[in-house]
Formats: sequence, C-alpha cells, structure tokens
Amino acid sequence: MSGIYLHIPFCRHKCTYCDFTSFPDKLGLAEAYMACLCKELELRGRELERETFDTVYFGGGTPSVIDPDYIYAAMKQIVKHFHLTKNPEVTIEMNPGTVSEKKIATYKRAGINRFSVGLQTAIDSQLEELGRIHNVRDYLYCTSLLKGENFSADVMLGLKGQTKEDVRKTVEVAAWSGARHISMYALTPEDGTPIYTDYLNGELPDADEVRALYDYGYALLREKGYSRYEVSNFCKKGYESRHNLNYWRRGEYIGVGVSASSFFYGRRFTNTFDLDEYMKCILSGFLPVVENERVEEKDAKFEFVMLALRTAEGISAERYHAAFGSDWREDFAAARKKNAAYLTENGDRTCIKDEYLYVQNHILMDFMEN
Amino acid sequence: MARPNRNLRNFCIIAHIDHGKSTVADRIMELTGQVSKRDMEEQLLDSMDIERERGITIKLAPVRMYYTALDGQEYELNLIDTPGHVDFTYEVSRSLAACEGALLIVDATQGVEAQTLANAYLALDNDLEIVPVINKIDLQSARIDETKAEIEDVIGLDASEAPCVSAKEGTNIRDILEAVVKLIPPPDGDTDAPLRALIFDSYYDNYKGVILFVKLKDGSVMVGDRIKACLSDKLYDVTEVGAFAPYLQPKERLLAGEVGYIAASIKSIEDVAVGDTVISADKPDTPPLPGYKKIRPVVFCGIYPLDGSKFLDLKEAILKLKLNDASLTFEPDNSVALGFGFRCGFLGLLHMEIIQERIEREFNLDIITTAPSVSYLVHKTDGSELYVDNPSHLPPVSEIEWMEEPIVRAEVYSPPDYLGSVMDLCQDKRGTFKDMTYLDTRRVKLEYLLPLNEIVYDFFDELKSRTKGYASFDYELAGYQRSRLVRLDILLNGEICDALSIIVHEERAYARGRTLCENLKDAIPRQLFEIPVQAAIGGKIIARETVKAVRKDVLAKCYGGDITRKKKLLEKQKEGKKRMRQIGTVEVPSEVFMQILKTNKDK
Repeated sequence: MSGIYLHIPFCRHKCTYCDFTSFPDKLGLAEAYMACLCKELELRGRELERETFDTVYFGGGTPSVIDPDYIYAAMKQIVKHFHLTKNPEVTIEMNPGTVSEKKIATYKRAGINRFSVGLQTAIDSQLEELGRIHNVRDYLYCTSLLKGENFSADVMLGLKGQTKEDVRKTVEVAAWSGARHISMYALTPEDGTPIYTDYLNGELPDADEVRALYDYGYALLREKGYSRYEVSNFCKKGYESRHNLNYWRRGEYIGVGVSASSFFYGRRFTNTFDLDEYMKCILSGFLPVVENERVEEKDAKFEFVMLALRTAEGISAERYHAAFGSDWREDFAAARKKNAAYLTENGDRTCIKDEYLYVQNHILMDFMEN
Repeated sequence: MARPNRNLRNFCIIAHIDHGKSTVADRIMELTGQVSKRDMEEQLLDSMDIERERGITIKLAPVRMYYTALDGQEYELNLIDTPGHVDFTYEVSRSLAACEGALLIVDATQGVEAQTLANAYLALDNDLEIVPVINKIDLQSARIDETKAEIEDVIGLDASEAPCVSAKEGTNIRDILEAVVKLIPPPDGDTDAPLRALIFDSYYDNYKGVILFVKLKDGSVMVGDRIKACLSDKLYDVTEVGAFAPYLQPKERLLAGEVGYIAASIKSIEDVAVGDTVISADKPDTPPLPGYKKIRPVVFCGIYPLDGSKFLDLKEAILKLKLNDASLTFEPDNSVALGFGFRCGFLGLLHMEIIQERIEREFNLDIITTAPSVSYLVHKTDGSELYVDNPSHLPPVSEIEWMEEPIVRAEVYSPPDYLGSVMDLCQDKRGTFKDMTYLDTRRVKLEYLLPLNEIVYDFFDELKSRTKGYASFDYELAGYQRSRLVRLDILLNGEICDALSIIVHEERAYARGRTLCENLKDAIPRQLFEIPVQAAIGGKIIARETVKAVRKDVLAKCYGGDITRKKKLLEKQKEGKKRMRQIGTVEVPSEVFMQILKTNKDK
C-alpha cells in the first residue's frame, strides 16, 4: 500500500525552528503553485497508474493557510489520476491560527478525514518565542471545530526554559481537546534557523534534560490511554497514522510539490527546493527532480531495520523476508547478537526495549555495514 | 701518493632551527647554476612533504655544484644540508664527518641560540673549519654588529669577516661562496691508497637497492669494483657510482676526497650500517675509518594499527622507514587493549611525531600511538637489573628493589622577564638548578638537571606558554638517577587498559591520576551504559570519574523526507566510530592514547 504526500510551501510566519521549505512572503503565488501541483499530480498519476494508494497527506509549511478550495481541487485531481483504496486516510496539517468553520467544512467535503494540529506547547510565552502565530486559545477554538473528528496534536519538547510542569499542561491540553493521536517530539535545532543561535549559546535544554521531559510526558500520555507506537508518536487504540506507518515499514510513497521526497520502485528522489524552478519545470512539462538515487540492496536492508526499529511493532521477520527474500536474523547476525541486551524478540517481531528506544542511533550503528 | 683535487670543497651548513639554513642552501645552488631558477622549488633540499610543511630538515641531503671563483679557478663544491632540531643531532654529526668545513648560519635578529652553539661545538669536535654567516640582514630588527660580537664572545669564532647576507632576497650570496673557497681547506687523503669510504647516510631505492652516501677518504671506486662493508664483512659488486646534482647523477668513478653515492644491489640496509667503512674486497685488511658511536633512543611509544588486521602493513611501513632512518628502533609488542603492534624508540619527541606522521601519510595507515615513555632502570630484589620502557612490562612491585630514571642536562634560554616563570616550571618538573648565566642584557641561560619523563610529558608546551614562546630549550642525556617511581594504571569499566598505563614519580601520581581520569571522561563519548574511569596504583584506586550513559540520541521525527538524511547522518557517525578502538566493552577514540597526557595541566 502506498502514500501520496503533497507539500504546501506557504505559511504566514516562519517559526524559529523551522527548516522546511516554506515561504511566508509568497502567499500570492499560491494559486499558480497549486495549479502546478495539480499538473504534477497528473504527470505522476500517469506513471503510477498501476499502483493503489491508501493514504494522502497535505504537509507544509501550513497547508491550512491557503484557500481551502485549492485543497479541494488537489483532492479532485488525486481522485482523478490515482487509484485510491476504499477508505483512504487523508490528512491535512493545520495551524490553529488559520482555521475557520468554513475551511474545515471544505476539507471534509474534499474527503479529508484526519487533521494534524500544531499545538507545540500550551504555554503562550513559549509559543510566542517559537514564532508561532497562534496561542492556546486558538488551539482550543480550532479543536472545538474538530469535535468528534480524528485529529492529532503536535507537541514539542526541548524548548527554552521548558519545565516538566509545562509539559504536563501541554499534554493535558492536548488530551483534553480530544486528540486521538499525539506526536511528541524533540526540537532539533537546525543550522540556519534562528533557534540554532539559542542552541549554540547553550540556552536550550541538553539531551539529558530533554530525555527527562520525554520520560515525564510519556508517563502522562500512558496514564491518559495513549500508547506509543513509534519513537515520538502516541495514539489511542486504532488511531495510528497509516500514512506515517507506511514510511516506517519502508512502503512506497510519491511526493509532489516543491522539496517533496518520494520512494518508488527502489529509488529515492526529491524535487527541487526552489519555488521558481519548481513551477518553471512543471510549466515546461518536466518533473522537477533534483536528486534521484537507486537504493542498493544492502542499504535497503539497513533502511528497513533503521525504520522498523523506530516502531513498537519492530522488525517483522516475515515482512523482511517478503521484501528481500532473506532472513534478517542472518543478514544482521553480528549486530543482532551484539545488541541482544537492548532488543526484545517476540516470535516474528523484534523491537528495541523501551528504555533504549531513545538511544537507538548507538544501536543502529552496529547494523550498518563496515 | 696522490693528493685529492685541490679545488674540491666539502662543507655543510649548520644553524639553529629556522635561522635560514635551507634558504641559504637554495640560494647557493641557484647562484652556482645547479638548479635553474625556473625549476627551483622553494627549499629544494627539504624534499619530504613533512619537511616542507613543517619548514624543517630531517634527512641530510647532499648536492654537488661547480663554482668559478673570483680568482678565476673553477671549484667543485659538495654541500650537505643538515637538520637543525636537537632530535637530529645524530644526523648532523654524521654529515659533519663527511666535510672539511661548515657554514654556521646565524639569524641577525635572533643571535646565537641553543642549537647554534651545540652544532658549532659538534663541528669543532670534528676539526671542521667554521665559517660564520650572518643571515636575514634585510629585516628591520637585524642586529649585525651585536650578532658578530655574540659569535665572538659566546662561541669564540672570529666573525669580523663573516659574510652578511639575506638569503631571502639573495643579497651577498657570492660572499659565502668566496669564503668557502678561501677558508675551507680541500680534503686530504690519498687517491692511490686502497679504498676507504665512510658511509654517512643511506636510503632504499626500489630499483637499485640500498644507495650508500659516502665520503671517500682514500682511493677510488668505480662500476664493477668488488667492495666490502667492514662491519658485516659482506661483499658487493658496484653497479653505479655518482654525485648528487642534487638528484643522483651517475659518473665514472669517485675519487678520494669526493662525496657521492654507491649502488651495489644491496638488499638489506642492516648489512651496511651508517658509520661503517666501505673498502675494496681485494684489500680486505684495510683498516676501517673511525665510525660514529651507536645512538640510543631516548623516547619510546607503542604504535598499533587502528584496524588490527593491518598489522602486517604497519610492519612493512616501519621496516621501510627504518631503511632511511637508522636511528629508529622497534620491536614487536602486544597489548591486551590494542593487540599486536610495535614498541618504537626515537631520538626525541619531534622525531617521534615525524615518524608517526610519515606512517600515516606515506603509507596511508591509521595508527594508534600510546603516550611517550622513557627507559627506566629497574633494580630487582634478586639483584638483577633491567631496562623497562613499556609501563606494562614493569615487574610487580614486590620484585622491585629500586628504580632509576633518565636525567637530562637542560639549557633554557630566556629573556630575563620570564626568569621567574621558567624557574617555577623547572621546579614543578622536579628540576635541580645548576647554573645561570646572563649572555647579554636580553638573554639568560639557565641550566637544570631534569627528569626526562617530565620533558616527554608537557615541559616544552608549558615552557612556550609560560614565556609567550620566547624561551628556547635544549637538552642532552646526563645519566640515570634513583627515583621513587610507580606505575599508574587506568581502568575503564573495571578493566585495566594496559595501553594507558604510565610510570610516574610517586609525588605526581595522585595529580596525574586525577587529570587522566578527567581528560578521559571528556574524551570518551557517552555509550549505552555508564563507564567508570579509574586511576589505580598497585590495585588501589586513587581517582575516579564517570562517563554517564547516553540518554537520548534520537527523538526527532523521521518521515518520508528525512530518511535519506537520517541515513547519511548515521553513516557520518559510523565514520567517526571507525576512529575508535574497542577496549573491553568500551569504545575509545584512538587519539586518546597519545593525547590524553597533553591535553590538560595537572590540577
């Protein structure tokens, strides 16, 4: 089963930690851009006409910042050019500062059935510091409009001055608002973002402190009935993100839009990060791919393990065998033996023990060849 | 009896490091047309990459030139470049033995320095005619007259006629050549006598075998001659003889007085030791020339391949380096922590660094080197004695009656302003004050007896930092001295890491142990479990630090666009891990073994 990702590179204001491709000052280009996106969908749809897709994901940027009719049009285009399964999961990312009743109604009409809302933190001063355009009240208003819907809340750890108490409030707000899925992930200070300066100056909590916040947040989530199914993703039973699970199972996906990545037929490829170039390419009838590489078998096997070990379901021997025709226990015999103390094996499945889930880079190192 | 060519001059250039020796040599070659300006690479004689990068000369390099003097006659000049650093005194003394005279280069801005003096005395010991040359006169701060006076006062040489030159700008270079021709005598010897040639250097050529650098004292040698190396009694047929131009230039024969090379399909450098005499196989009773005294290494360290399977490559590299560097010693060694490797002996710290660098660079091998050590004399309870340069070979305490450590006589030259700091440092390093001399108003010479093991630790770095780089320093071995020494062991996760053991003075042990633990705590990356780092003396723990377990290395998200990036990141981390060595359960970065002692001061 495969996924479709659409990148909407617009937002009202760039967050201080954001290193995604997003242009706060180019909303005027949204119409032209979305036209290009639809064109690219058509081009890709033709290539992939034999494939069936199970999930659609509008990510950004802030997909909810543009006119919802563009989203509607894009969905129509998808339905026209791709085979979707009977009950596809269709998600859109939303900034709580950009929603309205009408928008949400349009999304639903377009077939969107899952919403990912960026709460980040329930402390207004921290939201301001992050350059977010919303406050906690906006979030509560937004989620009130989503009452009864399947929505997820994003929560960030490792913010400047963040305490356990702050994490508690945030988790409580997210849970109380009715989110059936919560992504709780650590802020990664990327070079080139404003927050990187804070990081360089030692103003952000260090790895140990973040881990402590994480453990605390995790305990709260568990109390509230959310279980962890991936390093930074939690949900009520049955509300896993199918779109994201597909990534971790090393499933195929097609990404459209500027900077979008794809993985299909053994190749990983990425579109240009340059908005002008993207549109020029599409208008000239070319695919705007700038990176394109075939994944060698040994890399593919490692990817499989790397991604699977992020999840609670872990490595499935059966699924691995189906993908590569070999037994992962033999392919990675040495690494598996060396790290036996950190792994739990249960029949078909092998996953990292709970307490080592956050230090899996150290473990993965042994699974890399050479 | 036939005298050698009267128009032949064999000379070398000696100087303190950085006084412009190689530049002077380059200018002389340029002036004699030995090398056309166009082909001239800066500092031609320093041909190794490392030599050029570090601006030092390590190997001596000879070159033959022709010069038409102002008297209208043509002279043949053989110039032998020499290293300036104290570690390479041995190389200097070898080249001196091949010469009749020496140019003593003195930097007009620096004056006479430690190595100027040491080399001048070496030359005097070898009965060489010394011609002082004042260099760097183009610099604003040049003090020509004072420098001349210094040469006269300190060394006792007449410097009134000394050529004053700027090698950098090529000023007055001809004065040097005129002085060479006038002041340095031609070689003596007898071209009719049986062959006697001193081997003053050698290197291994893949096609020609060992190339011997020789100075012919008597007789002659040509292709087809059968020769004998006196010490090994081995016989060889000469395949090629020639001069240094500066590249090997074959000629018909070499005559008494001349400097040149001999190739004779010699396979093993061990059979033709530097300092040995080559004679004619037909005249096996020819008495050999006086050789050099065998050099003893003073600094030791273990060298191991980073990748244990590269042991044979390392062996080959060391053997090849040994071919060109008679002063390097080595023997196979085996460490619990690092596996198979070699224990190598060096003339000094610089020599050690150069060899390490050459192994990595010229042979493309990643190596781990242990902290430098010296050779201790152990008196055992059973009355026997042994030298130990590898801390892990030290006998158990119960078998040691007492120990001695090597002592050096150190001369520190410093501006008077830093006298206090220098004396404090020498005191800290267990030094014994011997003497103090004011050389002039700007320079004081301090003499101390210092334990060599303090010098290999961080003496030089400390001296430079405490005197803002103004002080210079030289030392020579001055025997052994009884001392209270102990072995300090380091335990990682409860296991002794033999490659980190050091021998220290009892009084230093606690401070050193603490520093080592602190440094290791910072140097060892956090791993999945907590790692105690302990220092111990004879089973008693004296210091402890803890490397905490890693708590988080992944909490970020990983979606479709992150997969490739994430993989690359892991690959990069993996690359970094390759520089690590697994010691028991602990991964230790390879630099640690060498640098751990250097990185911090004792607290």
